Formats: sequence, C-alpha cells, structure tokens
Amino acid sequence: MHNVYALYKCRVLRIYDLTDDVKLFLFRFENPSIAESWTFVPGQFVQLSIPGVGEVPISICSSPMKRGFFELCIKKAGRVTSKIFDLKPGDSVGVRGPYGNGFPVKDFEENDLLLIAAGIGMAPLRSVFMYALDNRWKFGNITVINSARYGKRLLFQKELEAMRDVAEAENIRIIQTVTRDPDWPGRIGRAQEHIKYANTRPDKSYVCVCGPPQIYNDVFNKLIEHGYDPKKIYVTLERRMKCGVGKCGHCIAGSSTFLKYICIDGPVFGYYDIISTPGLI
Amino acid sequence: MRYVKIKDEKVYEFLEGLKNYGKLYAPVKISDKFYDRKEIDDVKKIAFDYIRTIMPAKKFFIPPKEEMFEIDIENGEYKEKLEEVEPFVLFGMHPCEIVALRILDGIYMDEYADIYYTRRRKAGIIIGLSCLPDEYCFCNLRRTDFVDIGFDLFFHELPDGYLIRVGSPNGHKIIDENLDLFAEVNQQDIDAFREFEEKRQRMFRCYGSFDNIRYLLELTMQDKLWDEESEKCFGCGNCTNTCPTCRCYDVQDIPNIDGKTGKRIRFWDSCQFRSHGLVAGGHNFRPTKKDRFLNRYICKNSYFYPLGTSYCVGCGNCTYFCPANIDFLGNLLKVRSTAEEVKNA
Amino acid sequence: MKLRIGIHGLTSCYGCQLRMASVRELLEVAENFEIAYWYMVSSKGEISHVDIAFVEGSVSTAKDEEELKKIRENADVLVAVGSCAIYGGVQGMLFGKEYEEIFKEVYGDNKIEFEGRIGEPLKKYVKVDYNLPGCPPEEEEIIYYLATFAIGSYPEEKDYPVCTECRRKGYPCVLIEKNEPCLGPLTVAGCDARCPGYNVACIGCRGPLPHGIAWFDSLAKTFKEKGMSKEYIKARMEIFGKQYEKMDEMIEKVFEDED
Ligand SMILES: Cc1cc2nc3c(=O)[nH]c(=O)nc-3n(C[C@H](O)[C@H](O)[C@H](O)COP(=O)(O)OP(=O)(O)OC[C@H]3O[C@@H](n4cnc5c(N)ncnc54)[C@H](O)[C@@H]3O)c2cc1C
Ligand code: SF4
Ligand code: SF4
Ligand code: SF4
Ligand code: SF4
Ligand code: SF4
Ligand code: FES
Repeated sequence: MHNVYALYKCRVLRIYDLTDDVKLFLFRFENPSIAESWTFVPGQFVQLSIPGVGEVPISICSSPMKRGFFELCIKKAGRVTSKIFDLKPGDSVGVRGPYGNGFPVKDFEENDLLLIAAGIGMAPLRSVFMYALDNRWKFGNITVINSARYGKRLLFQKELEAMRDVAEAENIRIIQTVTRDPDWPGRIGRAQEHIKYANTRPDKSYVCVCGPPQIYNDVFNKLIEHGYDPKKIYVTLERRMKCGVGKCGHCIAGSSTFLKYICIDGPVFGYYDIISTPGLI
Repeated sequence: MRYVKIKDEKVYEFLEGLKNYGKLYAPVKISDKFYDRKEIDDVKKIAFDYIRTIMPAKKFFIPPKEEMFEIDIENGEYKEKLEEVEPFVLFGMHPCEIVALRILDGIYMDEYADIYYTRRRKAGIIIGLSCLPDEYCFCNLRRTDFVDIGFDLFFHELPDGYLIRVGSPNGHKIIDENLDLFAEVNQQDIDAFREFEEKRQRMFRCYGSFDNIRYLLELTMQDKLWDEESEKCFGCGNCTNTCPTCRCYDVQDIPNIDGKTGKRIRFWDSCQFRSHGLVAGGHNFRPTKKDRFLNRYICKNSYFYPLGTSYCVGCGNCTYFCPANIDFLGNLLKVRSTAEEVKNA
Repeated sequence: MKLRIGIHGLTSCYGCQLRMASVRELLEVAENFEIAYWYMVSSKGEISHVDIAFVEGSVSTAKDEEELKKIRENADVLVAVGSCAIYGGVQGMLFGKEYEEIFKEVYGDNKIEFEGRIGEPLKKYVKVDYNLPGCPPEEEEIIYYLATFAIGSYPEEKDYPVCTECRRKGYPCVLIEKNEPCLGPLTVAGCDARCPGYNVACIGCRGPLPHGIAWFDSLAKTFKEKGMSKEYIKARMEIFGKQYEKMDEMIEKVFEDED
C-alpha cells in the first residue's frame, strides 16, 4: 500500500532572490520518471520537508506546462522556512503532492482573467498567470494586479515589469501597486483601487484573489461594484497544515453544514463558499 | 442477518478462545470511576457493565504517539517506518464507538488512505456489546444508538446470556469455528432482546430530532452562553482527546543528538490548544479561548457527509472527562428549542 | 563545525545541571558539541563567546545579575533552563514581599555576605531566546533542544498542558475522581504527566503555560466549587506560578465575583 506521507527527493537547481525575505527555488524530482510524469493544476500546493526540521505547505508558482521542473516561491517565516532559506543549489529536500483542488482553469477558458494579489499571494497566482501565458489562445484579456506595502516587497516585480509593454500589445495588462512606499515611482494604493484599470470585461471574466485574509471583503465589494459575477470569483486560502490530505484536522474551517478542509476542499474557494462558511476568511 | 445465542456459562470460554484470533483487548476498571481497554490476560476481569473508557478505541488505530519515518538527515531521506501489526480483537465495543470508528474510516481511509491507520484497522476484529445509557449518553439523538454494520459480532445482553448478531465474514468464521459454544435463538430470547431494547430506549436523557442543532448552533454563535461557558474552560483538550472521533494530530521531526539521524513522529493534538490555528507570522485563526471552545462545538456537530451523521456520536465522553465540568449536551440543549424536549424522569 | 555551548547556574539547586550531566547520551553530547563552560562540572573557565548558553537558576543576587548579563553578551542564543530561570522558581514564590522581612524570618539577625533578592526569572534582565521548562527538564527534551541546534534549527516549544499527556497515557484524572487540586490543566507539558501517573495531583513544577493560556481563573473556580479555600488555592498555585503575569488578579477575580 502506498504511503501518502512518503516524500520524493527533489534537488534544488537554482535559487533567485525576489525580495529581502522571499526567494524563488527551481526544483526537479531526482527520480526521472516522477519528474516527467508529475503534474498539477495551478493553485495546488506541495508539502515540502527539510529532513529533521519539518514540513510545510507551499503553493506551486510555475506553470504545469513546464514538465520536469517546478518552482516554489518561499517567504522566510519560521522554523522550516528559515532552513529552506539556507538551501544551496544541489541540496535536496523531500516533496509530496500536489494537493488541494487548484483553480478551475478549464472553466476559465474563453473568458477574461483578472488576477489580484497582495503580498505573498502572488505566488499561487503566478502559476495561473504562467499557465494562461502558455495557453494564451484559450483566454481573453488578462490583467494582473500585483500589490504590496513597499516596492521592494512586490514579488516578481522585475519579471512582470519586463514583460509589461510586450504584454500590453497582447491584451495583457500588468498593474503593480504599493500602499506605503513614498519612493515608489509607480502606482499607489491598494489592489482593489486598481480594479477599475483592468482590461478585463466584468461580464466575461473569472477573478482569482490571493492575499492576507483581511483584504478579501474589500476586494469582493469592489469587484461586485464593478459588475464582476460573484459566481466567478475565486480565492485561495491559507491555514496551518500538517498533512495536506484531510487527516490532521488543522486546516478545518467551521461551518455546521460541511466542515471545509482547506487542504482538500480548497485551498481555492468560490465566493459563495466563503459567504456561507463562517470562519473561512 | 445471522443470529446465534451464547449462554452465560459459555461466555468466558468463548472469550478465552478469542485469544486465538489475536491479542484480546477489553474494558477493565482502572480506578474508582474509570475504565480503559487493556490487554486481557484473565477474561474474568472484563468489565461487562462499563459505560465509557477514558481512552477511546481510536487509540488502537491512531496511537497517542507514533513514529512515521526514520530520517536520514545527511542524505535527506525519510524512510517509512511501519511497525509490525498483529491481529487483535476489541471486545465490548458499544454502538457509539463502532460508529466512531466508521467516521474515522471515512477520514483516514478516503482517497488519500493513511497506511498506518489502515493496516491496524484491517488487523482488528470488532465485537460489540449492548449497553444501557447513563445521563451523559445521547447516541439516540445522534442516531448512533444501534449499529447495522461496522462489527464482526455484536453481543446483546439477555437474562441468561447474549444474543449475537453476526456482522461480517470474520464474524461467521469465529462462530463456525466455535459452533459448540452457541445455541439457536428461541422465542424467549427474542422477547428478551425486544424488552432490553425497549427499556434502553426509555432510559436516555432526552429525545427528539437533533439534526437542526448544527444550524441553530451556527445562528447562536454570538450568544452570551459561549462567553460564559468558555470562561469556565481550562483549554486542556481532554474533551477532544477522549472523544472517539477527534482525530487531530500534530507532526514533528525529532533529530537525534548526532545531528545525522532522526525520526518524524505524530501525536494527538487538540483544537483547544493555541497553536492549532496558529500560522507563521503570528496570525491565529482561532485566537481566543472562546474561538477554540466554539470550534469544537462546530466541528463535532458538522455534517459528516459519508455517513450522513454528525462527527459527534453522542458518547458523552467529553462531558464525563471534562475537569471543568462543562456539559456539552447541556449546552447544545440550551441552543436547541426547549419545546420539543422530552426529559426523562 | 561543532557548536560551542556554555552551561551556567545562577541561584538554584543545580538540579537542572545535574539532569544535563546525567543524560544517557552525555558522551554523544560531548562528541557533538564543544562544551566551553560548565560551572558545575569544572569550576575553572572564564565566560567566553559561545553559540548557545544554557542558564539555570533565577536571578537572586546582584552577582547573579552581573553574571547573567555577561553570559548574554557572550552568547548568540540564550536558553533559560528550568522553572527557576523561566519563572523564578520556588525561590521566586515570595515575589511581591519585602526582602528584608523574609530574610529576617529565615535568618533572624544573622548577616550573609551577598546582596540577596527575591528570585526573578532571566527574562526580567536579559533577552531569552528559548525556554527549556522542567524542574528539572526531561532528558528527552534536553536532547531535542540540543539536537535541533546541532542541525542549525531551533526547538518547537510546547504550549499545551500536562493534561494532554495525562490523556495520551490514559491515567485516571485525579481532579475529577478524587477532587485533588491538580495543576495539570495550566502547567506546560513535557513530563508525560509523571505525577498523575502515580495518582498524585500535579503541583505545576514545570511552570505555567506560556502565551497567556494558563487559565488560573478557570481552574481556581473549579477548585473553589470543590470546596477549596482561596488561601489554599493561592498557596498551591504560587509555588511555581507566583511570577506568572496576572496570576493574583485572576484568582482574586474568582472569589470577588461570587462574594
Ligand atoms: C496552501 C498553502 C500554500 C502556501 N503557499 C506558500 C507559498 O507559496 N510561499 C510561502 O512562502 N508560504 C506559503 N504558505 C505558508 C507557509 O506554509 C508557511 O509560511 C510555513 O508553513 C511556515 O512554516 P515555518 O516552519 O517556517 O514557520 P513556523 O511559524 O515555525 O511554523 C511551525 C509549523 O506550523 C505550521 N505552519 C505555520 N504557518 C503556517 C502556514 N501559514 N500555513 C500552513 N502551515 C503553517 C507548519 O507546519 C510549520 O512547520 C502556504 C500555506 C498554505 C496553507
Ligand atoms: S475538557 Fe473541558 S476544560 Fe478541558 S478543554 Fe474541554 S471543555 Fe475545556
Ligand atoms: S463530542 Fe463528546 S459526545 Fe460527541 S462523540 Fe465526541 S466525546 Fe462523544
Ligand atoms: S473538535 Fe477539534 S480536536 Fe476534535 S476533530 Fe474537531 S478540530 Fe480536531
Ligand atoms: S489528573 Fe490532572 S493532569 Fe491529568 S487530566 Fe486530570 S487535571 Fe489533567
Ligand atoms: S505532573 Fe506536574 S508536578 Fe509532576 S512532574 Fe509533571 S509538571 Fe511537575
Ligand atoms: S492539512 Fe491536515 S487536514 Fe488539512
């Protein structure tokens, strides 16, 4: 019988600094047949282990179209993530997954796509974005709103900036905004204040939101005000997780009707799930 | 269903014989007020009249602490650690605990089946035993007071023995291999069985439909009741640790002193603890004692889709073993309309 | 490279150091760490820079304070070891009383050569990075803390009560069964509920739970309902919990409410 908690060895191939406390890691499974067959849906996550230290859930932030490799964008936050920060190319870690439902990207096809990220929330949304770029012909207009407090905290800021002009010609709009940085030359304000600049058509759009829990209500209100369809709004949520497969109980969020396990019922939830499950956000 | 009868004078012989099928565990008295399931050497020590054990039967399938992997830190590898699982027999399981195991099955043996749990579950023979409720029991409200499946044999008390329901191929095998211990069920036994069940049904603390409780609970989460009740709570987690369906566990990597090897262990956790909802950066999804207190009420009363029941089976453990004397059912009854409540004398 | 560690004792019974010196894996500890300073084992040695300093005992004299500050200056990481270092311990029980008064009670008019004070936890004087609770700490935890440091990480501190371990072990609950004043519900776990295991109520020797989750009020209320007096409850809770923030207030509240 297969052990769902068994870990597969992955090597770190490359590491990039994104911000002071966020790095991007490029991984490959050591076992070539796993490396080639392993795939996922944007929005899914892996459980990553540093032997002897512990295990953490991390969203995959690359596109599933790039077989053989995957990227994780990790913020130094505590015990395990600090050790992840000490990794060097060539080091190995244990990985299992992918877990979670992921975004319903098939449903997104033939629609416009609005991605709204705050802080580390850009990590899972980058996977959706990269997937959409790899399948450009399947999607309509695309807007990415990337926000953070300070310019130097914007994840993938350079990557997004570099493609901005080319992207615009392809009906892809990139908006990067900060809330508290007087030195930032670009846009100022919270993500939701920039929804009005998106190139997406509210009646033809799917929306994905990821950020700290406090922002969701404001973002929802603004989206609905602009005419976006609540049925087509998705968020991805965070919780403490120990198993990733619906066993350990840490990620549950209360609703008397159905308990939601963020790890298997989520981490992606629709707007109506959110408003009918107290405690989800 | 197949029914057989065993007479009182043959029961100990039967129990002794059960040891041929695996290690025998059954409830025994461990102190003035408490019982627990222990390995049975002398079958005469088995407590047939026990109501609840201080450790729920989940301990046989998810031990309080277990090693999952050996870690080779130097080579970055986790090696699966599967301890030998020998067959064992749990005698004396009450209906609520049998349903509780089926709830755990739904969690632990779903599409991501847990190998540690599954191996033990497959090695366990479950023998049920009828019971009479005390004031803490409310399995009737949870519709878990009588089980249809989930056991190999089920013993129903009769004045002069037990009526046995046979619930699985393993159960048939045990009966067939010990045929001379059993008799056929006669009319008198059927009458006695019926009488027992009728008497039992009249003994519960309260009656009525309880399916609306989860919605009423959700609607009354702001009530003062929860401030008052959670204030009394110690946050000790005993309610969840003694709950037969609480399955939360924590995982930790424990390095050895050489820094080269270690183990990954898991152990029972509880949502009554601060760190259960804590994430890096200090955000806590259940920051106050009240949040954690309510979380248990919500979790336990939620609808468990695979079985169509709630996660709570109404065993009463969480109240009986609460050192702060907090009455779980009592609080739920306060939430439920009082009109339909029929209290027993 | 081996980590350099220092093991220090302020005012205490040296029980924690003794526990550290008697761990089964002591040889491995010596092999895997460079022990730069260990007062109890060899009284020689100046305080020099270490990666990790383990400090036992409470600050009870001016000399303690001075030494502690020196230890802190010379250590990258400082671990408070045992109830004295974390909460002031038994000698911190008299916290809040006048030192002179107590001194008189104990020593009469005699003089001693150092300037004494009521024992206080290390955190009142220096930054403490980690707590290793116990009275004394358990072997398993000592090794766990050391080993996590050895692999370049740090320990996950327990924030759940003795009750949990009592339940994991399946011991009968002495509070429910015998109305004994068990402090397990507010005491930090790690001893595998040793005392309830012997049918004895926990006296809280490992110290109250951190992070403001030691509910002295709720437990005092239950004790009160079981007929215990305020003085009795206080005296018991003060042994290891005296310097827990708001302990007094929490107990008072319970008795005020219903007076
Ligand atoms: C579905 C999901 C996707 C995530 N994606 C990313 C990502 O792409 N990039 C990123 O940097 N972070 C991500 N996180 C957050 C990341 O998992 C935490 O930062 C990480 O677990 C912190 O662990 P630590 O040991 O460093 O921190 P500590 O605070 O020392 O945590 C100790 C333990 O608590 C648990 N824990 C603590 N915080 C969290 C948390 N936020 N979520 C889950 N478990 C937690 C872990 O088991 C951890 O080992 C994600 C979380 C979830 C649930
Ligand atoms: S057992 Fe009682 S006191 Fe302990 S956490 Fe549960 S409700 Fe609170
Ligand atoms: S919540 Fe209480 S009554 Fe319900 S199953 Fe758990 S312990 Fe039994
Ligand atoms: S009540 Fe708490 S401990 Fe029990 S299963 Fe639910 S979340 Fe876990
Ligand atoms: S005996 Fe003490 S430690 Fe054990 S459960 Fe009871 S109160 Fe808690
Ligand atoms: S049970 Fe209490 S008094 Fe006994 S060793 Fe543990 S913490 Fe100390
Ligand atoms: S992470 Fe364990 S149940 Fe979701």
